[in-house]
Amino acid sequence: MHRLRMLWARLRGQAAQASEDQAFDEEIRAHIALLEERYRLQGMTAQEAAWAARRQFGNVTALRERQREQRGFLSPTEWWRDVRFALRMLAKRPALNVAMVLALALGIGANTTVFSIVDAVLLRPLPFPHPQQLTDVQSSDTGHQFEDSDVSYPDFFDWRAQNHSFSHLVSFHDTSLTLTSVQRAIHLDGEVVSWDLLPLLGVSPELGRGFRPEEEKFGARVVLISHALWVSQFGSNPTIVGQTIHLSGDAYTIVGVMPAAFQFPVDALENSFWTTLAVDNDGTPRALTANRGAHEMSVIGRLKPRVTLAQANEDMNAIAARLAKQYPDTNTRHNSARVESELKALLGDTGTLLLIVLGAVGLVLLIACGNVGNLLLVRANEREREMAMRSALGASRTRLVRQLLVESVILGLLGGATGCALAFVSTPALLRLIGNSVPRAADAGVNLTVLGFALGVSLASGILFGLAPAARFMRSDLLSPLKEGGRTEAGAQHRLASAVIVGQVALGIVLTAGAGLLVTSFVHLARNNEGFNPAHVLTFLFETPDSRYGTSRAQFYQEYFEKLRALPGVESAGGSMMLPMTYNGATVSFENPEHPLPKGQLESASLDLVSPGYFRTMEIPLLSGRSFNNADTERSPQVMIVNRAFAQKYFHGEDVLGKKLKPGTSNGPTSPPAWRTIVGVVGNIRTGATNREMDPMYYLPASQLPNWCCLYSVVRTQMDPLSLEPEVRNLVASMDPNIPITDVRTMRERVALELAQPRFAMVLLSAFAGLALILTLVGLYGVMAYSVARRTREIGVRLALGAPRMMVLQMVLRQAAVLVTIGTALGVAGTLASAPLLRAFLFGTGERNPDVLALVCGLVALTGLLAAYLPARKAMQVDPSTALRYE
Amino acid sequence: MGEGKSEVLQGTLDLMVLKTLYAMGPLHGFGIARRIEQISDGVLDLNEGTVYTALLRLQQQGWITSKWGISENNRRARFYSITRQGAKQLERETENWQRVAGVMDRVLKLERQV
Repeated sequence: MHRLRMLWARLRGQAAQASEDQAFDEEIRAHIALLEERYRLQGMTAQEAAWAARRQFGNVTALRERQREQRGFLSPTEWWRDVRFALRMLAKRPALNVAMVLALALGIGANTTVFSIVDAVLLRPLPFPHPQQLTDVQSSDTGHQFEDSDVSYPDFFDWRAQNHSFSHLVSFHDTSLTLTSVQRAIHLDGEVVSWDLLPLLGVSPELGRGFRPEEEKFGARVVLISHALWVSQFGSNPTIVGQTIHLSGDAYTIVGVMPAAFQFPVDALENSFWTTLAVDNDGTPRALTANRGAHEMSVIGRLKPRVTLAQANEDMNAIAARLAKQYPDTNTRHNSARVESELKALLGDTGTLLLIVLGAVGLVLLIACGNVGNLLLVRANEREREMAMRSALGASRTRLVRQLLVESVILGLLGGATGCALAFVSTPALLRLIGNSVPRAADAGVNLTVLGFALGVSLASGILFGLAPAARFMRSDLLSPLKEGGRTEAGAQHRLASAVIVGQVALGIVLTAGAGLLVTSFVHLARNNEGFNPAHVLTFLFETPDSRYGTSRAQFYQEYFEKLRALPGVESAGGSMMLPMTYNGATVSFENPEHPLPKGQLESASLDLVSPGYFRTMEIPLLSGRSFNNADTERSPQVMIVNRAFAQKYFHGEDVLGKKLKPGTSNGPTSPPAWRTIVGVVGNIRTGATNREMDPMYYLPASQLPNWCCLYSVVRTQMDPLSLEPEVRNLVASMDPNIPITDVRTMRERVALELAQPRFAMVLLSAFAGLALILTLVGLYGVMAYSVARRTREIGVRLALGAPRMMVLQMVLRQAAVLVTIGTALGVAGTLASAPLLRAFLFGTGERNPDVLALVCGLVALTGLLAAYLPARKAMQVDPSTALRYE
Repeated sequence: MGEGKSEVLQGTLDLMVLKTLYAMGPLHGFGIARRIEQISDGVLDLNEGTVYTALLRLQQQGWITSKWGISENNRRARFYSITRQGAKQLERETENWQRVAGVMDRVLKLERQV
C-alpha cells in the first residue's frame, strides 16, 4: 500500500517535472535570499553574505538533481543520457545483440500475430450498437439428452409474445434462391428472418426501409438486398427500391439496400439478401410456420436494458416449460431454453482454442526472454569491473540497476519493432491457414490495439529479462571485482542461469507435448475412414424451384441423373440432400411398432434423401438387401434403407429387412407420413470430418418425397473430378438455363475444409513448439559454453593433475544432463496438469498419451545432450598449459 | 565540518521536520530550517537544502501537504503543514525513536567489566 502510494506520487511527479522544477527554484531563491538578508543584518558585506548563505544552504545544483530524481524516476536529461549510453553499449557487441533482438523478434512477432487474430475474433465487440445486449436463444431440454437446439416457428412465436426480457426476438435460417430476372441466372445465399431484424441489430438500410410487421403475413414477398448484390447485378441503380425481382420463380419487391459493411449472421459473408418468414408460410396447416415439431430456426434476441442473462434464462425456461406442458406431443424434449451472449454462441469452442494458442505463443516468448536474460547475465559478468568502477566513482546502486534496465528495455523495444514487422508479414499467411474455420478472423490485421499489445509485451519482456542481471547488482558486493586479482564467486549467478534453463526445458516439453498430441490427432483425422471413398468425386448443387418443378421434380432428377451418368469419364452419379461434409443435416423422429412410445418421446435419427446410384457413387457398402432404384416412386410401396449403426441401436443386430417404421416425413400437406419397409442395410459413414461417432442414419428415396428440395449431385469420375465441371454446367443449362450450378467442390476438398480448424491448430502449435525447442537448445548451448569458458582454468588444473579427458567430457555432459532431467520432470508434470485443456480438440488420442510424452522427452533429452556436447568437446580439448597461463 | 558539530543522522531529519510542523503549525522551508537551528542550539551541521528533500519525501508519503501563500515579509512562499496521517506517523516514529534512544543509552552506560 505504502509502496503503491510512493509509486503513484512519483508517477505524478514525473509527469509534472518541469512545473515542479520552476516552483522549486522559486522556493530555493526565496530561502537563499532570506539567509543573505540575515547575514547582512549581522553586518556582513553583500558578497560575504551571499557566500555564507550559499554555504549554509549547500550545493543547489546537486539538490535540484536530487529533487528531480526523488520526485519522479528520472529527469529528462538523465533519461536521455541513459538511453545514449545504452545504445553505445549495445553497439559494442553487435553480434550478441542482433542474436538477442532476433530471439525477441520471433517471440514478440509470433505473439503479435496471434493476438491480431484474438483481437478480431474474441475482443472486438459485435459490429452493432450495445453489442453486449445481443444474445443467442436456443431450445434445450432439462435432461440434456439431445443436441438439437434449433427452434420451431410456433415455439418462436410464443417466445416472442410471452417473454419479458427482450426488446426484440428474431428468428432466422439460411436459404438459397436463384435470381433470374437478370442477364444470367445466379444462385444467391440469403436469410429468412422475422420482420424486426434491423431494429434488433440497430442498423438501417443505406437505401429504402426495413421490413414492417405486416410483411410477416401470408403472401408477402419482400426482400432487402446486400450492397454487393446491388452493385454487381443492378449497377448501383438508385431507384432500385420498389422494383420487383424474381427469386426462384417468385416475384419479390425490393424494399431496401443494406450498407456494404452489413453482415447477418455475422459469419455469413456470402449472404446477399434477407427476406421475411412469410416465405415459409404456404397457407396450409402443415406450413413450416405452423409446424411445432420442425426445429429449424436460430433465434437472436436483444435484452431490454438492465435485464441480465440470468433473468432472461429464467424467463425463457419458464415459457419453454409451460409450452412443454401445453404441447406434450412436440415439446416434451424441448422443455427449457438457453440464453447466452451472441458472441460466445458464435465462437463456441473456437474461443478456447484461440486462447490455448495465445497461451502457447506466450510460453514461446517466455522462453525467448529466458535466453536473452541468460545472455545479459553473461554480459553482466563481463561488465562487473565496469560497474564496480562506476560505483566507486559515486554512482548509486539504483542508478546502475536503472542503467541496466534501460538497456534491456531498449533491447525489448528493438525486438518489438522487428516483431511487429514480422507480424505484418505473417498475419496474412496465418489468415490463409485459418481460412473460414474461425468466425470473424477475416477482419484481423495489425492495427493500433495490436501495436499497443506489442509495445506492452516488448516493455514487459524487456523488464522481465533485464531483472535477472539487475537483481545481481542489487545484491552482490560491487567493489570486490576491483580488488587485486578479484574473481567474484559467480555461483549465485550460475544457479540463476541454470534455473532459467530448467524452466525453458519444462516449458518446451509442455509445448512440444501439446503439439505432439495435436499432430497425432490430426493424422488420425486425416487417415480416418469416413465410411465412403472421397477420392475422384465431384459434388455440386443446383436448385429445382417449386415454381417450375413442384410437380415434376422426381421425373426431372431421374432424367438428369441418367444424362449425367452418360457423360464421358463418369463412372457413376447420384444425389443426396444431406450430403456429408456440407453441414447439412436433419434429425427426424420415427414410430417403431416393436417399441411403441408416446408421441413426444419418439426416437429420432439423422436422415438423408438420396437418389438411385448414390451409395454406389460414394462407395458406401450395401451390406444386405437392395439399394434404391427407379422403380421406387410416389405410388410404389414406400421403402427406406438404414445403416448398420441404426440396425444395431434400434434392432440390436437382428435381421431388419422387411421391418416397418414410420418416419415423420411427409410429402406435402395432402400426404401424411407413411409406413415404410426397410429394404436394405448400408455401412456407416461420418457426416462431418470431426465427428467422433458414426451416427445411426436412415435413408429415404428422394423420388418418393419429391416435394423435398434439393439434391446435391455426386459424381464419381475416372479423371480429375474438377475437369468435368464445364460439362456438368452445360448439361444442367441445356435442361434449364435458369438453374445455375453452385458450390462446386471435390469431396476431398470438402473433407479438407472441415479439417481446417484442427489443421491450423496443429500447424501453429507445432511451429511454436519447434521455435520453443530451438530457443531452448540455443539457450542450453550458450549457458554450457559459458560455463566451460569460465571453468577453463579449473579444467586445465584437472588435466594437468592427470584427469583423463573423457572425465572432463563426462563432467560437462553430466551438468547438462542434470538440468535437462529436472526440466523434463517439471515439463512432464506441467503437461499432465495442463492436459485437460486440449481434450475437446483431440481425436483418436487421449489427452494423456504416454507414447507422445515419451517421444517428446526422448527428443528433448537427445537434442539437449547434443547441444551440450559441443561445449563439452571444447572442454575436453583444453590445453592445460594455455589454460594455466591464462589469467 | 565545524568543531563540536554533529552530522544529522540519516532518517532523523524527516522526524525533526514532522515534529516541527506538528508543534508550530504551517511553516515555509526557511522557517523550518530556522526552528531546527534554534532548537539544536547550533549543535547540528545542517545543509539547509536537505530540508527540501525531506519535505518532498514527506509530501510523497502523504504525511504533509503544501500550499502557496504570502510570508510574514510579503514574499510568495510555499507553506507546509502536517496531515492527520503525518501526525500518526509522528507518534509511531517518536515511540520508535525513544525505544532506540533508550537502548542506546543503556548500551553506552555499560561499565567496562574486564
